[in-house]
Amino acid sequence: MEAEVWHYDGRNANRWGARLAGDATSFRLIGGSWESGPYAWADLAALDLPGADAVFGLKEAPGWRIGLPQDAIPDGLAALLPRKVRYGGFIDRIGLWKASAVLASIAALAVFVGVSAPGWIAPVVPQSFEDNLGDAMVGDFGGRFCATPQGSAALKALTTRIDPDANARSIEVANIPMVNAVALPGRRIVIFDGLLQQAKSPDEVAGVLGHELGHVEHRDTMAALLRQLGLSVILGGMNGTAGSNINALLSLSYGREAEHEADLTAIAKMRAANISPLPTADFFRRMEPALPGKGAKRGRNKGERSDLEDEAQALNWLASHPSSASRYALFADAHDTRRTYAPALQPSEWRALRTMCASDKKVKPVGAFGL
Amino acid sequence: MEDQQGSAFGFDGTWREYAPIAFTNLLLTIVTLGFYRFWATTRTRRYLWSRTRFIDDRLEWTGTGKELFLGFLMVLVLLGLPFLFLQFGVQALVIRGFAGVAMGTGFAAFVLIFYLGGVARFRAVRYRLSRTYWHGIRGGSDDGGWKYGWSYMWRNVVGMIPLYLMVPWAMISLWNERWNKMSFGPHGFRCNARVKPVFKRFLLFYLAPFLLAIIGVAYVATIGGFIGSVFLHTNYPPVIAAIALVVIIVGIYALLGLIALAYYAAFLREGIGALRLENLDFQFEATTDDWLKLFFGDILLVVGTLGIGWIFLQYRHWKFFITHLEAYGEIDLNALTQSTTRESQHGEGLLDAMDVGAF
Repeated sequence: MEAEVWHYDGRNANRWGARLAGDATSFRLIGGSWESGPYAWADLAALDLPGADAVFGLKEAPGWRIGLPQDAIPDGLAALLPRKVRYGGFIDRIGLWKASAVLASIAALAVFVGVSAPGWIAPVVPQSFEDNLGDAMVGDFGGRFCATPQGSAALKALTTRIDPDANARSIEVANIPMVNAVALPGRRIVIFDGLLQQAKSPDEVAGVLGHELGHVEHRDTMAALLRQLGLSVILGGMNGTAGSNINALLSLSYGREAEHEADLTAIAKMRAANISPLPTADFFRRMEPALPGKGAKRGRNKGERSDLEDEAQALNWLASHPSSASRYALFADAHDTRRTYAPALQPSEWRALRTMCASDKKVKPVGAFGL
Repeated sequence: MEDQQGSAFGFDGTWREYAPIAFTNLLLTIVTLGFYRFWATTRTRRYLWSRTRFIDDRLEWTGTGKELFLGFLMVLVLLGLPFLFLQFGVQALVIRGFAGVAMGTGFAAFVLIFYLGGVARFRAVRYRLSRTYWHGIRGGSDDGGWKYGWSYMWRNVVGMIPLYLMVPWAMISLWNERWNKMSFGPHGFRCNARVKPVFKRFLLFYLAPFLLAIIGVAYVATIGGFIGSVFLHTNYPPVIAAIALVVIIVGIYALLGLIALAYYAAFLREGIGALRLENLDFQFEATTDDWLKLFFGDILLVVGTLGIGWIFLQYRHWKFFITHLEAYGEIDLNALTQSTTRESQHGEGLLDAMDVGAF
């Protein structure tokens, strides 16, 4: 078959007129004083260009083009020419709408896996690996762990009480004035001194410890690390800001469900240790100004800190946790009126624990935290 | 071949013709969680290039989505993973009390990004030229842009030191350096843009505070009585003072934006006007007014369509660019032979994926 085409040879910028002459497998181009080919039909690629001309390129020959008006393609030739690539890949084969539906299902699945996979993977990560990782990341917390003979003994007593199986590798108090406690990778729990100062009884600290132990036992920190890692890879495909915002939102915390589970663990541990959950409930009530009875309790505080300061500090801890009202109810309901609870620590021990950071001369001072 | 009639450059696309491309791109980008955007960019460029005429024939974009995607993957592996480590590493360093080391690493990361930003700017132009064909011939560069990255860093720093007064010098000299390393076919681009024509516009930035003072004086002179009265008598609502404040603040931003636009218009006129390819001289004729129209047109389009118009911005900007681009001189088609510059297979190395814009 034959057809008239225009031609760029990709070697210089001249536009040639040529006659295309071919058989079932290949063709040649014949110009006024030149001839080229043979070229295999299979090496042609159709270009997705608007306009009246159909344009074809040749494999491994950059700039090589032939073109002819769409309506001037003889029937025999049309069957040999390749089809246009429009959207790319398989989308052209199965059609835009079908492909969109398939892709949307895959996307939904990917998001689901991305969000929930850390929860499945974390438990099978070897504990020794997590422990090493945690030690590498945390170390000695920059020398901010407080220690005095009496204070450390009190902490040990509290630890033995709430965590008799020693599920946490270490529980320490850090000289940081924030109302917070964290479970770090490698089964390590850090209570900030600010929380000890804010707490009104050792039972409240036991409640918070129980909660963090829940995170340790459920391996929530490992899951959070994996989630942060995985999401930044998955969402890398999305445009910068949207991706990183979603990432920040999702990896911000362990998630409400994990927090609730940790609360349940805390309650179970307190029951086993015979520590009353009521003070912990009270702790949540103090953190939530709208709850009843707050004003009356406030009187005991003897103006150590202003209310405003209390609330601003409390926000730290509350930001990533379920609402205080629901947690108050959860802990208050766990209280058994027929039972006689024992305080988590003796008054002298509690005093030693609370003053541990202030009495420790070697600990890094408060102002030296962070960047 | 001589340029016989009208402009050497022309754009004959229509938004109706582009709309199916824009909307299907949007659809596929959404259902692939953004991964389609490399192919979307490619389809858009293929259309825009194919509707762009230079003298007697169209441009052709031959870049592929796959190479942009591979470039992105390389960025992810070569930059993303170290930075991910850095993120956790710096966190750990701070926790462990090595704030100094953490700051040092952070600064090193900043310098690295600064440097790579310069390299990326160079390679973005190179990538676009190497994928742009006209009459079966493409452009490119034999330079990897690694040296340009250093140039980019020290010139920008030097430009900022004397109260930013040398920024125009930095921008113009970098523009020249970049274009002098680019080529099309066998011919190298030559560019000798000067600082002087753009410097006056840049000085407007320093004039802005004085202009604002004059506006303020004029304002007080005309309706200033109100402002005083608000403080003296309560029967004038303070709303007026609030409105005046808003007007002044918006005015400041608008003024700075206008100056930036005026400077950019002058910069591109000088930069492209000083560009030469063998016997071709280029020119770019967009005035500050044209830029203003483009800018407010963009805003109206996006706001008026509740954001959907955003997918047409690339089309509008390309059309604006081509409509105001001009070339004079002649081309010898026999001498315009194929470029021998290297053509890498993965989005032109790793940095073109950052795609910071060629101009």
